[in-house]
Amino acid sequence: MSVSVLTLRFLSRDLRSRFAGSFSGGLWALLQPLLQLAITSFIFLYVFKARVPGSGAPNYIAFLAVAFWPWTAFSESLLRSTTAIQDNAALIGKVALPREVLVVAVVASSFAIHITGFVAVMIVLTAFGYGISLLHLPLALLLYVPLFALSLGCALLCAAVQVFVRDLVQALGQVLPLLMFTAPIYYARDLLPERFRDLIDLHPFTFYAESYRALLLDYGSFDYWRLGAALALCIVVLLAGHWVFRRLDPHFEDFL
Amino acid sequence: MTQVLVEARGLGKAYPKVHRSGDRMRALGRLLLTGNDRDRIDVLRGVNLEVRRGESLGLIGENGAGKSTLLKLITGVLTPTTGSVRVTGEIGALLELGAGFHPEYSGRDNVAMAAALHGFSSAELRERLPEIIAFADIGDYIDEPVKHYSSGMVVRLGFAIVAALKPDLLITDEVLAVGDESFQKKCVQWIENYLDGGGTLILVSHSMYHVQKLCRHACWLRGGEVAMSGDVFDVTQAYLAYHERKSAPTRSRSEAAQAGHEFSVLGIALNESESERPLMLEFGDVLRVRVRVRSRDGRVPCVMIGVVRADGTPVYGVSTEIDSASPHRVAEDEYLCEIEFGSLELLPGNYSVRVHPMDTEGVRVFDTLERSLTIRGASREFGLVRLAHHWVHGSRDER
Repeated sequence: MSVSVLTLRFLSRDLRSRFAGSFSGGLWALLQPLLQLAITSFIFLYVFKARVPGSGAPNYIAFLAVAFWPWTAFSESLLRSTTAIQDNAALIGKVALPREVLVVAVVASSFAIHITGFVAVMIVLTAFGYGISLLHLPLALLLYVPLFALSLGCALLCAAVQVFVRDLVQALGQVLPLLMFTAPIYYARDLLPERFRDLIDLHPFTFYAESYRALLLDYGSFDYWRLGAALALCIVVLLAGHWVFRRLDPHFEDFL
Repeated sequence: MTQVLVEARGLGKAYPKVHRSGDRMRALGRLLLTGNDRDRIDVLRGVNLEVRRGESLGLIGENGAGKSTLLKLITGVLTPTTGSVRVTGEIGALLELGAGFHPEYSGRDNVAMAAALHGFSSAELRERLPEIIAFADIGDYIDEPVKHYSSGMVVRLGFAIVAALKPDLLITDEVLAVGDESFQKKCVQWIENYLDGGGTLILVSHSMYHVQKLCRHACWLRGGEVAMSGDVFDVTQAYLAYHERKSAPTRSRSEAAQAGHEFSVLGIALNESESERPLMLEFGDVLRVRVRVRSRDGRVPCVMIGVVRADGTPVYGVSTEIDSASPHRVAEDEYLCEIEFGSLELLPGNYSVRVHPMDTEGVRVFDTLERSLTIRGASREFGLVRLAHHWVHGSRDER
């Protein structure tokens, strides 16, 4: 059985199922984060009068958008793939297949949609003169690779555990917003009180938020030590997730 | 020696006990830490099985005997708890209804997915798709979501996919029962062709007819263990006899109640055999039925002996009173009566010999006892018995 053909088949099924029956089709995937971006920027820009600190700082909308899309890819892929095994119980009970494929397909489909959205928004922002360095876009896209690995590692772990503990997905629904607000997505590190500024490096997404800004907005600097740490982390998480998944995989059928 | 396709050694499967919510958590912890979970219920124990290329094996057994679990272990859907199973070659499996269809997607989409699961490339799929759709023969439903299908349509589609795959080993789990007559025929025909072409089959069915028709070997699972395996006729007969014995407790209770009755049957011997195993005869063989009847008061009983088909339809019945015969007295309160059917013209199938002791006048029935009888052989005649006949316009060689 060719795993790549199978993955592609599940990926295309997942993409189609997300848009099948919806009026706007695939457009919705781009529209939804755009709308969310519009609402949050309105609130932060005009209600809270948020400004990005520092001289020559980028516009808040660009500042937010650059970190917000990668975060959406991460959080949405994790949330959706957690139930990937459980949702396919009927298939798993009848057909022998490498079950990782189910998780990989969901994570990949989320990333495909949100990377497309990311590119589109970057182009739109450039067109409106928000000062995006489009030349660095390929580098920024490269950054999605470790982010994908990190998401996949978490997703494998969660999807496997979800089979046994069904409330995991509900818990994730609570934990993910918490993670979003503790990462420097809506704010810059410099706005934090002194004692939290270094602590925030412990957040796995901090590196990504700041690196996207460094690459695309030339805000802050790209830190190679942190890149190393992030790469190490994503490899460890991926291996750990895979180990747990392999360990529990033979018993899925018993608990589904 | 032909190639061994499936080899199971000491195969066992246990399911976890998950009654309370805490159980799942505990099982998760144990699995992560030690890799196994002790708190389990055995559904299959020590199964040894070998299926060679070109063989056809019927799996029979009661509900919950572990048949489906065994199939799932062979297909690799389940992981064995103990022992091992080794499978060579491509498996086409139809496990229960649906074969893993997703209810929300169209039939066409599910076919594509099933094809990908079986390792088809897109080109191969395009080539085979018309063939699959033609075999399933469900018309425009192919583009409807599977959730709108009738169970027969689901099976049709599932079988069509497997038929297109032409697997080395075909595994089906009680799917023939769902399709309608014509589709069942189509499937049976396909399976027969497939077997003739050197295919290998494992079939689970409660229909002994299908098992005997399609399989040469059978394996009887009882309570998760192999109770018997071997020639399909021997195993299916033993299995049917077991079912009769299972319904016997109610009978023995009534026997106990009848111990005080005036007449009761002490034993039946078919062709000198008192065994509970079904008697096997060929068409036209001699059948002798010997019955021992206890008569409480020593009065002469009237004995009714007859043959009924497996489903209870009476074929023929006669009593000592009708024929003015009389049982032979062997003891103070015991009578013996024996009847011989010189040439039993029952057509091949499963029957029972049924015996009732009645009072001297042949009016009241006191007891009922049955023994299974199987007529083996192949005949294309219809019905239960061969009626004496000849073609009036003469046979061909007379001309």
